[in-house]
Parts: sequence; structure tokens; C-alpha cells
Amino acid sequence: MDREIELRLVVRLKAGDPAAFEAIYEAYRPRLFGFLARLSRRRDVAEDLLEETWLRLVTRSETLADDARLGPWLFTVARNLYFSWRRSRAVDEARTSDLDPAWPAPERGDSPFEAAARRELERRVETALARLPLRDRELLLLVGVEGLTPSEAAEACGVPAVTLRARLHRAREKLVAEMDADRAVARARAG
Amino acid sequence: MTRWEPEDEVAKDLSALRVHDASPERVERTRARCVAVLAARRREEARGGRAAPWRAWLEPVLALGLGALYLAEAVTRALAVYR
Repeated sequence: MDREIELRLVVRLKAGDPAAFEAIYEAYRPRLFGFLARLSRRRDVAEDLLEETWLRLVTRSETLADDARLGPWLFTVARNLYFSWRRSRAVDEARTSDLDPAWPAPERGDSPFEAAARRELERRVETALARLPLRDRELLLLVGVEGLTPSEAAEACGVPAVTLRARLHRAREKLVAEMDADRAVARARAG
Repeated sequence: MTRWEPEDEVAKDLSALRVHDASPERVERTRARCVAVLAARRREEARGGRAAPWRAWLEPVLALGLGALYLAEAVTRALAVYR
């Protein structure tokens, strides 16, 4: 979202303008949902936390700083809500994997071959992400998928930027290792 | 690697993941709840704004008056003890 537009939306949201809320909701809702769904690996939990995140935004909109960055603000709230939910339920990471890997989403206008190749790559990335420890997954989601800068992600995660960069580096290596392992299994099955 | 470079293959793979959304019913429910919160806030502010002219001076005067009465009574009782 363009920064000038974002700043204007913040001012209007602080004044309680529903049109500003609508614009922010449309811009960030799918990204927030994807983040929460990939983090929790549960659609129902992601939807609950998504709703709570937006309610937090509107109930606290008056206290937003005039120069607030909506993306980092929303992802920070969503992330904190997820970790609160996890703590409250004493969630076992190994048991939270009921997210359907075949997400219902429209296909792009690729040829059948391109579509199949893209689906396979997506499956591999999604599977590798899902296998990573939660702390690694959240970093890759915030920076790699959602496009937050490492500094913004560090703020969202409540860690120093230097620490986050080191963790991000390790998370990336783990993801590559998972994808390589998945590829090796696929080759072994095919061969 | 400390930044996501455009030519980085992993970064490309991650950023190319499809965007997903909540169910349409949930999207609508969340929107309605949030708009209702904003509308309630605006109503509240409008009510507060209308009441402001008289509340602005009446509240401090009442508080000051009651405070003075309380203080006067306290002083009177204290003096009565020492007389």
C-alpha cells in the first residue's frame, strides 16, 4: 500500500470513518488470513484470530499513532493473538496440522503443464513451511511471504533486528533442507 | 543472508505462494462487527459533543463545590474536637 494513502487512511480510521476501515480491510485481510492459517495450520483458528485482529484495530484505532504503519501493526497483533491462543490451549505443535493443503483458490491462466508445475512447487513450499518449527515458520511468513522488512518483523516478534536476521538466515536454510528432502523422496518414489 | 534479495530462489518461491482468504460468511461477519463498533463510537462521540457545552462548566463547578463542602465539614469537625 502506498505510504501516502496509508497515512491518510490512518487519520480517517482514527476519526472512525467506516470507508477507511473498508479500504484497510480489503487490502490486508487475505494477507492476514494467510499468515494466521499458515502459522496455526487450522482454518477455524485462523478465522477466529482474524476477526479478533480486526476488532482490535477498530476498538484501538483512536490510539494509533498518526504515522502508524498498518501492516506491521496488524501482523504484530495477529501474531500476538496467535501466541496467546497457543498458550491458553497448551497447543501441541504436532497435532495442529489439519489445514487442508489443497486451498480453494482460483487458478491463474497458465497452461495445464505450467499449472501442474506451479501447484507442485507450491505444495513443496507449503509442506516444507508446515514442517518447520513455529518460530522459524513465523519469520519466513512475515518476511518472505508477507513482505515485512526484517526490522518490521523484528518489532512484530519483539526481538532485536540482529537476532531476527540470524534466525531468519537459519530458518531459510531449514526451509531449503526440507524442500530438498521432499524432492529427494519424490525422486526416489518416481525412480 | 540478511536480506531477501530479488534473485533469491527461496524468496521467489515464498512470495509466489497464493493468497487465500477466510470464508465469505466470516469475511462479512467480521466486516459487520467492525463497522458496528465504529458506528457505535461515532454515535457516542456525537452524544458527547452535544452535551459538551453545559458539561464543560457544570462538572468542574460541581466537583469544586462538593470538594469545598467536604473540606469545610472536615475542618469544622476537627475544630469541634479540640474545643
